[in-house]
Amino acid sequence: MVESSSRAVVGVFTYMDDALEAVKKVKAANMDYRMYSPVPRHEIEEVTYPEKSPVRMMSLVGAVTGCACGFALAILCSLDWPLRTSAKNVVSIPAFFVPGYEWTILFGGLSTLLAIFIFCKIPSVLRAAGYDPRFSNDKFGVVVACSTGQVEDMKRRMLDSGADEVDVRDSL
Amino acid sequence: MEHTQNQHDTHKDAPVTYAEVNDTVLKMLEPPGTGWFLLLFTCLFFLAIGASCWFYQMWSGFGESGKSHPIGWGTYITNFVFWVGIAHSGTLISAVLYLFRAAFRQPIYRLAEAMTVFAVMTAGLFPIIHLGRPWYALWLMPYPNQRALWPNFRSPLLWDVFAVSTYFTISATFFFVGLIPDIAAARDRATTKFRKALYGVTCLGWRGNHIQWKHFQAAYLIFAAFATPLVVSVHSVVSWDFAMSIVPGWHATIFPPYFVAGAIFSGVAMVITLAIPLRKAFGLERLITPVHFDAMSKLILLTSGVVSYSYITEFYTAWFSNNPFERFQFWFRPFGEFWLAFWGMTFCNCIFPQLLWVKSLRTNIPFLFVLSIFINIGMWLERFNIIFQSLTREFIPAAWGGYNFSWVEVGITVGAFGWFGMWMTLFIKFFPSVAITEIKEIIPPPMRRGGHGAVAGHNH
Repeated sequence: MVESSSRAVVGVFTYMDDALEAVKKVKAANMDYRMYSPVPRHEIEEVTYPEKSPVRMMSLVGAVTGCACGFALAILCSLDWPLRTSAKNVVSIPAFFVPGYEWTILFGGLSTLLAIFIFCKIPSVLRAAGYDPRFSNDKFGVVVACSTGQVEDMKRRMLDSGADEVDVRDSL
Repeated sequence: MEHTQNQHDTHKDAPVTYAEVNDTVLKMLEPPGTGWFLLLFTCLFFLAIGASCWFYQMWSGFGESGKSHPIGWGTYITNFVFWVGIAHSGTLISAVLYLFRAAFRQPIYRLAEAMTVFAVMTAGLFPIIHLGRPWYALWLMPYPNQRALWPNFRSPLLWDVFAVSTYFTISATFFFVGLIPDIAAARDRATTKFRKALYGVTCLGWRGNHIQWKHFQAAYLIFAAFATPLVVSVHSVVSWDFAMSIVPGWHATIFPPYFVAGAIFSGVAMVITLAIPLRKAFGLERLITPVHFDAMSKLILLTSGVVSYSYITEFYTAWFSNNPFERFQFWFRPFGEFWLAFWGMTFCNCIFPQLLWVKSLRTNIPFLFVLSIFINIGMWLERFNIIFQSLTREFIPAAWGGYNFSWVEVGITVGAFGWFGMWMTLFIKFFPSVAITEIKEIIPPPMRRGGHGAVAGHNH
């Protein structure tokens, strides 16, 4: 992990394809890295994280749970106070569709939020090694965790890829 | 790639750059001027009027609200339906148009989402105010209690509780999640201690690395998918508050689609009402362009058509049903005591928007501003017609009655605009009210070797 290594080599790039070139070299060297960008791009995703995100599974589980809970709440409350009105069934499934439907969405949405927290590792109070405020503006960043002996080689790879500047920082 | 093309069409002079987006949007967060304070104090003044009226009503009794037999649902429920409707287009623009990849939504969707959240916060107040004794509002919730009583799950009023609370929770979550990367951009530029702390906490430590973006994008798409059915369901459930009853003028199966279309119609109008002054005040002309107003105008034209069709269908159904009570109700609306409300609604919602068939008017900003205000008045009148007119003329003449507005109701209605305006005013000064990340998504990325933002054509 970037956080556990002793040094972090930070490459700052103006051009996205340069940054992706650097990422390919880092991946070829089998090193741990983070690529920062001011915007999500599918080109970045294809190089850095082509697998599907597990977020959707959590959303599905949440939605199914919500549906079951919504119907269960309406059914159990009605059975606990069985009040028959207008000759309708105490357990009126068509009427209970609304709470079931709404809680499907509610639980699904909240579990998606939980998934963001878990997989994006937020909220985070830790300072990310190598993060530069320009990465939220108009620059791309590649931060590679490496040992002291690998620093020079990594700096050269970054510069060869077209980095505007390369910096070396302590990993946290 | 269609987005890219649209963007080029939108900004013919020079391509917008990533840095320019940050500069333009974050400039809006600079210390406020006199105009902003004036706006805020105006909103607070209206809010104070509304709050005073509400406290007076609680102190003196619900009779002060002007409601009396046969009008059990009056201004407060009209306001509730109106504000829920306003909220709808925000979700349409942020979620539904996101799924359809409509490029015109990017510069306006944040404003529309904020409007959604604050409008639902406003709408949610009215059923509570309408209770008369708001401290019993918790009885709406199904919670274990000593008497083992549960709310009636077959009642549309309880469905409303579920629908509106879910809508608020999901809209607020969707809104906040979308804000996270933009707040991080604000954090990285903040200079004062207060702003650094505010953005540092609210962006939750977001850095924008490739892992975060991957999961964020996946989650955002799912949020949009969850929010989309809410656009349809919430106002459908609100319409069932009326349609499930037997009151003439309410008991109609067309109500759900009619309400949903009306909600989108009024909401888009409100987005225009808010976007035009914001664009002017903060110099957003390069981000919110005539192309966006043209697209919103087309949406208004479409929904105006659906709403007009629904009005005609209501009349046709009443005639075709041969039900004397329904027939009388739909005679009473245009020619009865409140004829002005009916014809005002017809002009504002059906006739005036037809001018948008003229292309030049769809991008005429002053005209759109005036039209949007007329539409909002028209949509308030629509709810007035449905609620008041139906209740004043139910089945037997002995149950008929009139209605007198009380100053308390008017004060609370004005206060609602103050409440909504206060949140909007605070939001535009403290958080990015134009989506930085999403606008960047439609800008070609800077590329050295080929691609849409390649060095040769790039404007860095």
